[in-house]
Amino acid sequence: MTKEKKISITIDNKQVEVRPNITILQAARDNNVYIPSLCALEHLPSYGACRLCIVEVDGLRGFPTSCTTPVEAGMVVRTDTAEIRGLRQEILKLLLSEHPASCLFCDEHDECKKFMGTIRKVGVITGCRYCPNDARCEIQEIVDKVGLTETSYPVYYRGFPVEKNDPFYDRDYNLCILCGRCIRVCNSIRFNGTLAFKQRGKLTTIGPAFDRTHLEAGCEFCGACVSVCPTGALSTKTSKWYGIADAQVGTTCTFCSVGCRLLLQVKNDEVIDVLPDYDDTVDQGLICVKGRFAIPEYVNSPQRNTTPQKLTPVGYEVITWDQAFDLAAEKLSGVKPDDILVVISPQLSNEDLFVAQRFVRQVLGSPPMMSSVLFDLGNDISSFFDLVLYTSTYDSLETAQGILSVGFDSTYGYTPIGIAAKRAAQRGAVLVTLGSCDSNLDMLSEASFKMEPSRWAGFLDVFTDSLARKGKGKSRGTKEFAGNLNEVTEALSGSSANVLIMGPEVIFSYRRNEVFERIKVLRDRLGWKIIVAHPYTNLIGMLAMGAFPGVKPGELLQNGSKSIKLGLPSLDPTKRKKLVYLVGEGRFDIIPDCDYLIYQNAIMPSSWRQPDLILPTSLFPESPGTTINVERRILTLEKATGQYMDSRADWWIMTRIADRMKKGKFKYKDINSIQNEIKKQIPNFKASKKKVDFVKIDFKNGGKWLKGSTKVEPESLPSATYSSYRGIPLAQVVGGMKIIEDWDRSSSFSDKEAQ
Amino acid sequence: MPEPIESILAKHDRKQEELIPVLQDIQKEYGYISPESVKKISRYLRISENQIYGVSSFYAQFRFTEPGRHSLKVCLGTACHVRGGATLLEMLERSLGIHCGETTSDKRFDLERVACLGCCALSPVVQIDKEIYSRMTVNKLTEHLKDYE
Amino acid sequence: MNKINKKISLAKKKWKDLEDNTEPIIYVGAASCGRAAGALELLDGIDQFLVENKVFARVIQVGCIGPCYLEPLVDIKLPEQPRVSYNNVNVKMLPAILKSHLLQGVPHTKLALGNFGNESFYDIPRFFDLPMLKPQVRIVLRNCGFVDPEDIDQYLALDGYRGLINALKMSPEDVIGVVRQAGLRGRGGAGFPTFKKWTVCRNSPGEQKYLICNADEGDPGAFMNRSLIESDPHALLEGMLIAGYAIGASKGIIYIRAEYPLAIERLKKAIGQMREYGLLGNKILDSDFSFDVKIKEGAGAFVCGEETALIGSIEGKRGMPRSRPPFPAISGLYGCPTIINNVETLGTLPNILRNGAEWYTKFGKEGNRGTKTFSLVGKVRRPGLIEVQLGTPLREIIFDIGGGVQKNFKAIQTGGPSGGCLSEEFLDLPVDYESLASVGSIMGSGGLIIMDDDTCIVDVARYFLDFTQKESCGKCVPCRVGTRHMVELLDKITHGDGTPEDLMALRTLGDTIKRGALCGLGQTAPNPVLTTLRYFRNEYLEHIKDGRCRATVCKDLIEYRVIKEKCTGCQSCVRVCPTGAISGPRSEPHNLDPTKCIKCRSCYEVCRFEAIAGDAIVIRSAEKRT
Repeated sequence: MTKEKKISITIDNKQVEVRPNITILQAARDNNVYIPSLCALEHLPSYGACRLCIVEVDGLRGFPTSCTTPVEAGMVVRTDTAEIRGLRQEILKLLLSEHPASCLFCDEHDECKKFMGTIRKVGVITGCRYCPNDARCEIQEIVDKVGLTETSYPVYYRGFPVEKNDPFYDRDYNLCILCGRCIRVCNSIRFNGTLAFKQRGKLTTIGPAFDRTHLEAGCEFCGACVSVCPTGALSTKTSKWYGIADAQVGTTCTFCSVGCRLLLQVKNDEVIDVLPDYDDTVDQGLICVKGRFAIPEYVNSPQRNTTPQKLTPVGYEVITWDQAFDLAAEKLSGVKPDDILVVISPQLSNEDLFVAQRFVRQVLGSPPMMSSVLFDLGNDISSFFDLVLYTSTYDSLETAQGILSVGFDSTYGYTPIGIAAKRAAQRGAVLVTLGSCDSNLDMLSEASFKMEPSRWAGFLDVFTDSLARKGKGKSRGTKEFAGNLNEVTEALSGSSANVLIMGPEVIFSYRRNEVFERIKVLRDRLGWKIIVAHPYTNLIGMLAMGAFPGVKPGELLQNGSKSIKLGLPSLDPTKRKKLVYLVGEGRFDIIPDCDYLIYQNAIMPSSWRQPDLILPTSLFPESPGTTINVERRILTLEKATGQYMDSRADWWIMTRIADRMKKGKFKYKDINSIQNEIKKQIPNFKASKKKVDFVKIDFKNGGKWLKGSTKVEPESLPSATYSSYRGIPLAQVVGGMKIIEDWDRSSSFSDKEAQ
Repeated sequence: MPEPIESILAKHDRKQEELIPVLQDIQKEYGYISPESVKKISRYLRISENQIYGVSSFYAQFRFTEPGRHSLKVCLGTACHVRGGATLLEMLERSLGIHCGETTSDKRFDLERVACLGCCALSPVVQIDKEIYSRMTVNKLTEHLKDYE
Repeated sequence: MNKINKKISLAKKKWKDLEDNTEPIIYVGAASCGRAAGALELLDGIDQFLVENKVFARVIQVGCIGPCYLEPLVDIKLPEQPRVSYNNVNVKMLPAILKSHLLQGVPHTKLALGNFGNESFYDIPRFFDLPMLKPQVRIVLRNCGFVDPEDIDQYLALDGYRGLINALKMSPEDVIGVVRQAGLRGRGGAGFPTFKKWTVCRNSPGEQKYLICNADEGDPGAFMNRSLIESDPHALLEGMLIAGYAIGASKGIIYIRAEYPLAIERLKKAIGQMREYGLLGNKILDSDFSFDVKIKEGAGAFVCGEETALIGSIEGKRGMPRSRPPFPAISGLYGCPTIINNVETLGTLPNILRNGAEWYTKFGKEGNRGTKTFSLVGKVRRPGLIEVQLGTPLREIIFDIGGGVQKNFKAIQTGGPSGGCLSEEFLDLPVDYESLASVGSIMGSGGLIIMDDDTCIVDVARYFLDFTQKESCGKCVPCRVGTRHMVELLDKITHGDGTPEDLMALRTLGDTIKRGALCGLGQTAPNPVLTTLRYFRNEYLEHIKDGRCRATVCKDLIEYRVIKEKCTGCQSCVRVCPTGAISGPRSEPHNLDPTKCIKCRSCYEVCRFEAIAGDAIVIRSAEKRT
C-alpha cells in the first residue's frame, strides 16, 4: 500500500494533520479530541443515528454528525461549542426516554458508585444494579461526559419480555437504544443476516423474521452483537453479572484447526468471558460460538477432574499426585511395550506433544502410538495428509474469484473461513457449494448442489470436466446434477484464482478417498488452492513434533531435500492390550479392550469403561505453550489463570512419571526448558519464522497402516456442530452447545423428511 | 391457482434491488407474504430471510397474514381528517371489534388507514375493496358494510 | 434526426386534422381524480348514447385540467366549432347534454361552463377566462387536459421533444448553462438551484451516473405530480432525457408511488412509444447520447421522498435516510454520482430548452424564476391543481383562484405536513422560497391546505405531527423519540389536560428535532407546531386555560346537546345512536345523556339531513370549564 498523503484540518482551533478518507470522528479520536457517540464503532460502517457526535463544520449547514462526515482538506471543525453542548444534552435526554435511567439520575448516584450500598429497590429490568451492563455501560459514560444530571421526559418503557430462550446470551430489548451496532456487525462483518430492524418509527424492533428465535433464524451465536452492544440489552448468560474483568489475556483457541486469537476475560483467577480480537491477522475477530462462549463453561465445568483418582472395587479413591505417579510408573513398567497402546490427542500443545513422544519413545520403549486422526482416516490417511499439510492460507480467499466448498458449513465453527468465503461472494466471486444438507454458505452461493456424500466424487468429475470445457457443450452427467452446473463452470473458467474449501463432512464421509483424489486433481492440474477445515487442532504440531507413529521429531519439515520416504508402522487398533494410556484424549470409541486404562484428561467421557487411573490435566487457559494452525502458523498459548484445583499440565505429569520410572533424562521445569530442547532437537522448527513447511511425503505402501483386513468405522461426525475437545463432546459440558446440537439434529432430520 | 413463487422469481434478476418488486409481485398474486415465500426469495436473491422481513416490514404495503375477503380503507388525509375520518375509523374499530391493521376473525374485513386517497374534495372517503365511498357518515357506512359478506 | 422530423410533421398533420375535425369529438377528463368523480361511468354512458342514437363521435380520454371541484369534465367539439366544456357531469345530465350538443348541434348553454375558442360562444365564456384559471400561468401544465396522454403524436405536435432536440445540439455544459441562466430551482421543496447540483454530478468522476425522478408524492393533500404524469407523461420523460444528457447519465429511474396505478400505466405506455420513436435507448436521435428509463414502484413509506432514503429503497433496502455529505451527486445509487430531481423540475425543463432561458426568466421574480404548481385543497371553494408564477401573493391564490373560503379564513398550511401554518396576517406574503422560509414555513412540493373556523389549529398541528411521527423511519433519536413526545403533549392539550409549561416543552422539543434530526423529514417535522405556536398561540391557551376548542373539534372539550325548542321528537337520532344516549318518547323533545354519549356524530348528521326539524342537535365547546 502506498502511503497516503495526510491532509490538514482544524479541530477546535487546532490545526492537525490527518489521514484522508476518514471521518471527522476518527480524525478527532486520532488527535485525542473527545466527541461523544453511541452508534459509531470502529470496524463498523458508520450509521449516524444517535446524533450525539454532532459538530459544526464551516460551510456545512446545521450540525453534521462527525461519524458520517468525511474529512476534507482545510475543513474547520468545532466539536464543543455551547450550542452543541446544549443540543447534545437535549438529544441525550430524548434517548434516555427510551432507556431506563434510574442508574443515571439517582440522588444516591455517587454513593452508590463508591460503596455499592444502595438498596436494590427497583424491579429487575429498570433497576440500577440489576442491569447486566452496569459499570460497563457506554450510556453511563456518555451521560457523565455530556454532563447530564436530570431528564425531563417521561420514560417509554416498552415492556418486552426478556428473551431467554436461546443459548448463550439473553436479550432485553427494553434497554435497547436502536443504535444498530448489532445489526451492522451481524450483516456487514459476519455476513450472517440474523438481525435486522423490523417495522419502523417508534415500533422499530430488532430481531429475526416472524418472531423466530435466533436458533430458528440461523444465528451462529458468534456473540459479535453482544460484544458491540453499548447497553445491557444483549448480555452473555454466563458472565452477565460479573461486572468488569480484572485482566484480559490474549491466547489461541484450541477447539479446532483454524487457530483464532481469543481475548480471555479473567476475574478472580477464572475465565469469565471471551472476546474476539478484531485486529488479529488470522481470524480478524471472526471467532465462532465455541471460542466465544464455550470456554468459560468448559474450563470451569463441575465435571472436571480435580484430583488424581484410582479405581477400587468400591469406586474411585482420591489419591495424591505422588501416589498417582507411583501407580502409573508401576503399571507402565510392568508390561512389555508391545502390550501398551498410547493414544495422544492432536489437541495438545507442541510442548505437550514433544514431551509425549519422547515419553513414548524413551521411557516406554516405543510402544505403538495412536491418534484419533489416524483412527478416523484409516488407510486414507496419506491422501488426507497430502491435502492438509499443504493447505493454502485463508487470505487466498480474499483474492479468490471462484470458490467451491465441499461438505462445509461454518455456522458453528470454522467461521473465519466461512466468512471470508461469504465476503468474497459479496464482492462478486463465484461461490458454489456441494454438500449433503443445507450449508450456511448456500444463501450467497451462485449454485448449491445437494447430494449424498457417496456421489460427491462423481460430481467433482463432472465439475472438473465441465470446467475444462469452460462450461461449453454437453457434459456427461450434467443432467444428473440438475441445476446450472454449466453456467457455473463457465463463470469459473475465466478465473485464475480459485479456492476449494474442504469441510469436515468430507473427512467423515464414506468414499472420502475418492473425493480427496478429485480435489487433488483440481489442485495439481487446474491450479486450485485448497483450504482444509478439520477438527484436529494441532495436527500440524503433532507431525512436526513427531508425536505420531513412524514420524521422528522434525523429520517431515522442509530441510532442503525434495521429499521423504515414510512408512507408517502397521497396527491393529482393535487388538486387546494390557495397558492403554490416553494422553489428553477422551474418545473411548477408538481404543481396544485393555486390562488397565490410564486416563490423563480434564473431563470424564460418558462411557461404560471406567479408567483405572485418572490423572487430571489443566486446559489451555491454564498453561502456556504453542500450537500450529492448519495454515502452519505457529501461535502462542498464554496462561490466563492458575491450575484448576489439583490438575496439572500434560507435560508436567509425563515428566514426573518418567522421573519415577527412572528412564530418559526429563529435566523440564517449565515450558521454556521444553522449548529450548525443541529448538535443539528440531533445527527446522524455527519459532521465530512463525511458520512451518513440510516436504513432500512419499508414503511407503500408500500409507496403509491397518493390519491385515482390519476395518475401522468411525462414527459419523458431519460438522462443526458436533465438535469435541480432547475427545469430550462440547455438548456434554456446555449447555448451549447441547441445545445447538439438538436443534441441528432435529432440523436436519426435518430437512431430510421434506426431501 | 396463483402463479408459483418460482416463476414469479424467474422474472427478476438475482439482485438485491429486485427485492421490493419481487415482494410486490408476490403480494399481488397471493395477497400477503408468507414465511415460505420469504424462504424462496432468500435463496433466489441471496438475502437472509431476516433481512427480507426487515425490509418488507418497513413498508406499509406489505402484510404477512392472509388478508380478509374485503378490505376497508379509511382515508385519514388532511381533508378527511378535518371532516371526521377518525370518527369513521373509530366506529369501524368498535363495530368490527378489531384494531386498525387487523383482520376480523371471520376473515370478512381487513381494516386499514391510508394517508390520502386523493379525493380530498369528496371527503371523508372510505374505500371498500375497489369502490370509493365519498362523503361518508357513520350511518351511511354502516349501511354500505351490509353489502359485503 | 430525419426520422424524428418526419414523425413530427406527421404528428402535426394529425393534430391539425383533430383541430379541423370533421367528426364530433368528445373529450373526457379521466385522470385518477376524474375517475373518482365518475368519469368511467360517463364513458360508458357516452358509448351507450352513441350506440342508441346511431351517431358517431370520437371519444378521447384526456388528463386533468386542474379544477377538481368541476370534475368530472366532459368537453364536446363539433366540426368548425370551438371545444365546449361541461362541468360536474353525471350520468343523469349526460343525455341532455349530448342530445342538445351532439344531435342538435347546439351547446347546452345552461350546463356549459366554458369554451376553448378565442371568444365567447353562445354566451359561453372562454374557459381560461374563468376566475380560477385566469390568474394562472400554465407552463408545466400546458398540455394537461388537452392532449391524449397516451398518444405521443399529440405531444410531438405541440412542440414536444423540441427541447430535447435543442439540447442535443448543445454541449451538456451549455445545457447546464441554460438552466443556470433560467434560474430554475428544485421544485421538490428545498429550492436548491438545479444547475449547481447538476454541475457537481457532471464533474464527479465515475463511468456510471444515474438520474432519478422522485415521483413519491407522499404529502397528504398533494397531487401535482400525479396529475402531471397522468395528463402529460412525455413532459416528464423529455425532461429526464434533457437532465440525463446534461449530467452525463445513461440510466434514469422513476421512483413512483404504487398508489398511482394510472400514472404508472401511462408512463409505461409512454416509454414504449418513445422506444418506438427512437427517443430512448442507444444513440438517441442519432446523437452520441444513450439513455434508458426504468420505473420503480414505491411500497408505502413517506420517508422515501427523502433522497437518500429513496436511494436505499431503490437498492432494495429499508428506506432509511443516511447522513449527507457525501451528497448523492457525488455518491448516490450504488455509490455512483446520482441526481434526484422532482417531477415538476423535470417537467419544466422541456419548456426552458424549447423557449430559451430568457423566456423563462420573464416569469416569477428575481431569484425565484418561473412558475410553481400547487394543489389547493381544504376549506377553499374551488379546490384543484393550479400553476402560478413564483411570487404570487397568497391572497390571490386563495381568494382569486380558490374563490375564497367557505366560512371565515383561519389559516393556510404550505408545504404539506413538513410546512408551516400561516395566519391571516400573511395573506399578502408572496409565495417564494425565501419569503415562506422567513416566516417559518417552506415551499415544499406544493400542497396548500386552507383552513377555516371549523378547523381546530391544535388538532391540525397534532394531525400533521402524528402523520410525520407515524412515517418516521425510526433511525435517529430526535425524530423517533422527539416527535413522539410532541404528539403526546399535543394529545394532552387536545384532551384539555395541557399546562402552559407544555407549550415551552413543545418549543424546546421542536427546536431540538429541527436542529438535531438526520433528514429533511425530521428537520421539518416540528414546523406545523412551531408556526402554530407562533401565530395561533391563543388557541393553544384556550385549550389549556379555558378547556375550550372554538372549532368544536377536540372531542374531550365538546359536548352534544339537544335544543329542546327545536326538537320535534322525530326519533331519527334515537335510532342511530349506537350507545342509547338519546331517549325520549315520540313527538317530545329528546334527552341526551352526556355520560353515555361517545360523540360519534351520528345524531348530529341525522338531525341535519334527515330529521324533521333539523339542527336540533348541536355541538358546543364549553365557554369556561369548571
